[in-house]
Amino acid sequence: MPRKIVIIGANAAGSGVASAARKTDREAEITIIEREKYPAYSRCGLPFVLAGEISEFEKLIIFPLAWYKMMKLNLLTETTVQSIDVKEKSIMIKSADGKESTLPYDTLVLATGARSFIPPVKGYDKDGVLALRTIQDGIKFKEKMKSAKAAVIVGAGFIGLETAHALFENKINPIIVEMLPWICPTVFDQDTANIVQKKIEEHGIKVIVGKGVEEILGDTSVTGVKVAGETIPADMVLMATGVRSNTELAVQMGVELGITKAIKVNSRMATNISDVYSCGDCVESQNMLTGLIGMCQLGTTAVRQAKVAGTNAAGGYSVFPGVLGSSVSTFFGVEIGATGLTEFQATRLGLKPISGVVTSKTRADYFPGAKDIRVKIVAEPEFGRIIGCQIVAGEEVTQRVNMISAGIQKQMTIFELAKADTCYAPPVNETWEPIALAAEMAVAKLRR
Amino acid sequence: MVKVGEYEVQEGLYYHSEHFWAKVEGDSVRFGATDYGQKALREVVFIELPKVGDEVSQNEAYGTVESVKAVIDLIAPVSGKIKEINEKLTDTPDLINNNPYGDGWLILVTPSKLDDELKNLMTFEAALTWYQELAKGG
Repeated sequence: MPRKIVIIGANAAGSGVASAARKTDREAEITIIEREKYPAYSRCGLPFVLAGEISEFEKLIIFPLAWYKMMKLNLLTETTVQSIDVKEKSIMIKSADGKESTLPYDTLVLATGARSFIPPVKGYDKDGVLALRTIQDGIKFKEKMKSAKAAVIVGAGFIGLETAHALFENKINPIIVEMLPWICPTVFDQDTANIVQKKIEEHGIKVIVGKGVEEILGDTSVTGVKVAGETIPADMVLMATGVRSNTELAVQMGVELGITKAIKVNSRMATNISDVYSCGDCVESQNMLTGLIGMCQLGTTAVRQAKVAGTNAAGGYSVFPGVLGSSVSTFFGVEIGATGLTEFQATRLGLKPISGVVTSKTRADYFPGAKDIRVKIVAEPEFGRIIGCQIVAGEEVTQRVNMISAGIQKQMTIFELAKADTCYAPPVNETWEPIALAAEMAVAKLRR
Repeated sequence: MVKVGEYEVQEGLYYHSEHFWAKVEGDSVRFGATDYGQKALREVVFIELPKVGDEVSQNEAYGTVESVKAVIDLIAPVSGKIKEINEKLTDTPDLINNNPYGDGWLILVTPSKLDDELKNLMTFEAALTWYQELAKGG
């Protein structure tokens, strides 16, 4: 009897689970249930479609329908799960035409993702207050941009800033409002954030930090946003204020939630209910550095967890080692990236972090096209271990963040990183790799 | 070689609907994957082939091919006994992508029911029509 694997959710995590499950068990009957019309598309690409860098939303679809057919996956789109019977191991589903049916399973994977969190400020439900998570959101946003005169972006994380750039490319200069004292607060310290903020402001974009949105004004449609007593005119507002895990099904079936209120999983992505796994934006993750449980709702985390969950759900063996939160973005002519802890976060955990900062160039200084790069490496002083980095540059940030992430995973020290065998050629680097120099700056601080 | 949309279709071959081709070479038949098949898979990273001497049956799986995000069965276009397997594929599986109709061939068999079974495959002309339909469907 072939194993019946049912996956709820067909986006980054869900389709990743399907792929890994099929590779592990060629005979299994694999069904994927997806409530949206489009399965497996890159949400991360939405701002870049809005900016005009990607020609259409359809290009974001990662797996065409032919892929599901080729892999013998039963994909059910516009289908919702009504209830799950854990004892009977069966699911009640409702398809687009309203028909209900039951689907039995041997193993089940919850890849239910998350939804945009809209802070419940007065007026949050007015016309023109938008989120950006689904293709439908993207289409709505693109349409609104055509007629908008003034826009406000609430939340200066990567999505907010990428979308601010998209608005800028569409000749709408948004005003960015961030509640916390500096932009990108989850990945940057204030010094790094200030540099990035300056780059944004150089484009004529106003950035307000340390102030929250008190009210959204207007009749049925938004006309303005009240921030610290001041009214900012706006006919479109993006709430880029984070996401919340979709855990309704999990709760309904008795799957345990963790301290984050997201689904709790072990290192095999298994929940407390046997034969039920979970991965992606709906689960909590363990930090490789601190061992602490938190949320790491990134595309890269989703696909990595999905591979583990899919393998295990299909009878294989695979473990997930945890997260470091490596992330990268680009907007307003600058690339930014980070991994691990900021000095601020490290201090809150009781560490006494030190940092090494270096500003350099991305190519030989004399080479045309060389751009600025600033590397900040954060370390723990007793062991000298690298615990984080923040990089801002005109180019070439991604692989540097990856390098440091791999180093942190191996508990590399700043002493070792300062002497790493790096490479260069004038068109692509300076002789002295900025990362190694930043590590050296940190070492110097220790030896004072 | 004829191009239908973005897919290349080679003359002189018989085509199986699971995107494999069969070439009659005297008293042997060579199997391979079509350009459509290799494009759907993307970069092949691993291939599992049976041994020389093993039997294959028309429409049945005799091995698997894996790419980064996908895995599919190798389906035999005709039945027979394996005479040769393409050893190069162990070290260079992406030959299937780079040269699906040439160096990327899969196995060579001595057919057992060739005349009967060829009737179940598409000729080059029939395949052209079929690929045109596929190209439209997307």
